[in-house]
Amino acid sequence: MVVAGDVHSETPEVVVEFLANIMPFNELDSEKLHEVARHVKVDFFPKGVKLLTAGETELSHLYLIQQGGVKSSISDDEGEVTLKDYRGEGAYIGALPIIRGTAANLDIETVEDTFCFLLPREIFLDLINTQPGFPQYYLKSFSEKIVTTAYTELRSHKMTRRGDEDLYLFSMQVGDIVKQDPCVVSVDTSIQQAAKLMADARIGSLLIHSPENSEDIIGIITDRDLRNKVLAQGRDYAEPVENIMSSPVGTVLSQSVCFDALLRMMSTGIHHLGVERKGKIIGIITSHDIMLLQGNSPYSLFKEIGKQQEIRGLYPLSQKIPEMIRNLIKEGAKAGNIARMISILNDHILERLLTLLEYEMGQPPLDYCWLLMGSEGRREQTFKTDQDNAIIYADPKNDQEREAAEEYFTEFARKAIDHLVNCGYPLCPGEIMAVNPKWCQPVSVWKNHFEQWVAAPDPQELLHATIFFDFRAGFGKASLATSLRQHLNEITQRQELYLLHLARECMAGRAPLSFFKNFIVEKDGEHVNKLDIKRQGLTPFVNFARVLALKHGIRETNTLSRLHVLFKEKVLGDELWAMAVEAYEMQMQLRLIHQLNQLESGIMPDNHIDPASLSDLEKRMLRDSFEVIERLHSFLKTMFPVG
Amino acid sequence: MFDYKECIPWLRKPHPALVKNRELFADFNQGRPLHEYTFVVCDTELTGLNKRKDEIISIGAVRIVNLQVELCQTFHRYIQPKNIDPNQATLVHRITPQELKAAPPMDEVLPEFVEFCGDALIVGHFVGIDMHFLGKAARKSLGGMISNPSVDTMRLARGYEEAKCVDFYGNCDQSQSYNLDVLSEQFNLPRFKPHDALEDALQTAYLFLYLIKKFKHGGIKTLKELYLAGRIRGLMS
Repeated sequence: MVVAGDVHSETPEVVVEFLANIMPFNELDSEKLHEVARHVKVDFFPKGVKLLTAGETELSHLYLIQQGGVKSSISDDEGEVTLKDYRGEGAYIGALPIIRGTAANLDIETVEDTFCFLLPREIFLDLINTQPGFPQYYLKSFSEKIVTTAYTELRSHKMTRRGDEDLYLFSMQVGDIVKQDPCVVSVDTSIQQAAKLMADARIGSLLIHSPENSEDIIGIITDRDLRNKVLAQGRDYAEPVENIMSSPVGTVLSQSVCFDALLRMMSTGIHHLGVERKGKIIGIITSHDIMLLQGNSPYSLFKEIGKQQEIRGLYPLSQKIPEMIRNLIKEGAKAGNIARMISILNDHILERLLTLLEYEMGQPPLDYCWLLMGSEGRREQTFKTDQDNAIIYADPKNDQEREAAEEYFTEFARKAIDHLVNCGYPLCPGEIMAVNPKWCQPVSVWKNHFEQWVAAPDPQELLHATIFFDFRAGFGKASLATSLRQHLNEITQRQELYLLHLARECMAGRAPLSFFKNFIVEKDGEHVNKLDIKRQGLTPFVNFARVLALKHGIRETNTLSRLHVLFKEKVLGDELWAMAVEAYEMQMQLRLIHQLNQLESGIMPDNHIDPASLSDLEKRMLRDSFEVIERLHSFLKTMFPVG
Repeated sequence: MFDYKECIPWLRKPHPALVKNRELFADFNQGRPLHEYTFVVCDTELTGLNKRKDEIISIGAVRIVNLQVELCQTFHRYIQPKNIDPNQATLVHRITPQELKAAPPMDEVLPEFVEFCGDALIVGHFVGIDMHFLGKAARKSLGGMISNPSVDTMRLARGYEEAKCVDFYGNCDQSQSYNLDVLSEQFNLPRFKPHDALEDALQTAYLFLYLIKKFKHGGIKTLKELYLAGRIRGLMS
């Protein structure tokens, strides 16, 4: 190496090497990369330091994690803290606030000793403005609608990018989506006249021109101005609009693509932009207009399901769920929310399907309720959702009713199950489905089933417990399910012995940790050296929540909800509750991403994760989660002392 | 005109860089908050460890401002020693005798380095050795002393470890190694290639940041406290 001539311009190789390996910096040419690298500094933050405080910290730098890890969280008005995500090596912190020119949007705290490269704000903004790949990369991870979480590491390491995604943002010109000519009034128009005009024309904004020239647009008023500047301030309606207008009007050229407009809106905070063609404003676009372009939103799928008039029409719609979920993950939704979203959509498909089936077969002879069991009952489905269902119907008053009910519901169940298979929900290998006569019964028989399981616990019965005890109403008369739940709570609380068995079964599985805190993975079979994240990681949490829910007569079936109620009822302490929730969500997230990737590479989703494919940070988080399992077990031990 | 004073060390006027350097530290205040000081973390490579005979053959340094490493403010020079000798040290540093012959002499490099240091404190690992050879060179080439105070990361590391692990009887594990490599490994710092003056200086800079921020859970606020933290037990108390 030859000695560098200028002392102050030697480019730090360590930074160049780092940037060349992370998105989107890897797209920069070498010259630009070196130039950027020359502005980078290093800072160090010990474990447990609060790096950013939401709503307070102003960012002078973009942080890039060289080594270590941070967690981001957000707290609501009541001070409840929700963990958003973990970020490790190569991840960034603070891009959104810098782009939008706001204070930090999340609380960031180091969970390890962390070295960060600091890229000055101006340099970062310059890249955003001059490098096409940059706004695209950072903007993709944000959405104003969905919580601003970026599972950056998961996304950049684990998710393949698709060529066609969000294409409309880049292909559609703003000129094409302007709906109508703008309404324009003179500055001396009164506020009330302007508001009336807006109400009559059903528009949310009004352009203002100068008194002498109607072509000369000098300002804009919006619904928000009427609320904030007029009503809230008690302003006289007779004042001219000039006093409340925003000026000048932010504009975009009509040939700009929607993406540019969205970027303008996000970076300036202005949500109404004038669309300019040949120096003239031809209309207004809002962020809402652009959002509407997104066809794959959960809401549009929801509406489409509800519109179907034939069961066959539902078949292709359920196949759309993975793609929609993919978008949600990309936009940063959390695993817990996604699982809930999946069950809302599945429930909606079921509801539509059974409604249409009732039309086809005529009114059922008795009230009934379609029960959902297992993960469906807990609202914890991912992509691979076996059917676990049953039918409970009102007790028949005589033999005639009994026969009619048996005949109707047998046929009803058979058809429903077939349709569900066609929609892509595989059959349950254990035949826990409404089509099995054993699981299509009147209320009294169901109560009897549960009484037997609880009275004489044996291993087979305990297995049933895990599937059946998480039931909830899926469709039909929900009160039937409620009365069954009530009955179950009464009998289990009387049967301490049964709970003891259940708790023991629960503690029988060891947490997958060895003394050396390495992973214990399966030793033989098809999934050698892989971790079954469902059986070894998630199930202990589910079992834990179920036992305590039964003991305390809690009706919730969802694991996170059960834990929450247990916390509210002061069964679980603050710390244990927070740890359990964090650990459970972290694993759900890992599983979801794992399955989504399998689905995208055409593999049937499973729960077997190869630890080698995890990043260091993920491994550490997973290990921490497993340690929580041991905490849960020792909690159960004090609750259900052996002997 | 020949000035005989230039030939006699004790009559010689110090180099202007040194005069300026001395003025910078005329009334040095140790009580300011740590982040207000500038630090220059430096490492020198030597022809050997003989304090009398050996010489500096390269200097690497990086500046720390506001307790952040300014990665682009670095200093890296090879120096032509008076006695070029292909001995072991050059093998360790992977600097060839040819490279050394092409390098400028200390007389040229040292004023630049003094300039680069400015009013910064000099930080180094076993900084005493670096300061000895720099001081020797300064006397020889510039006719004076370098006035910058220094901070030793080795002492800091030792203070840090002792504060952490002193047992009930005040004993501490004496077998701990305070080698830069071992410490970097132990504290799990990002790694640089060893035996290059600049890379070692960067490694030391990371170690320095780590120590001052971890020590007393970030409780070290002023330079004075930093010096106290680096005091070695048994020698001072």
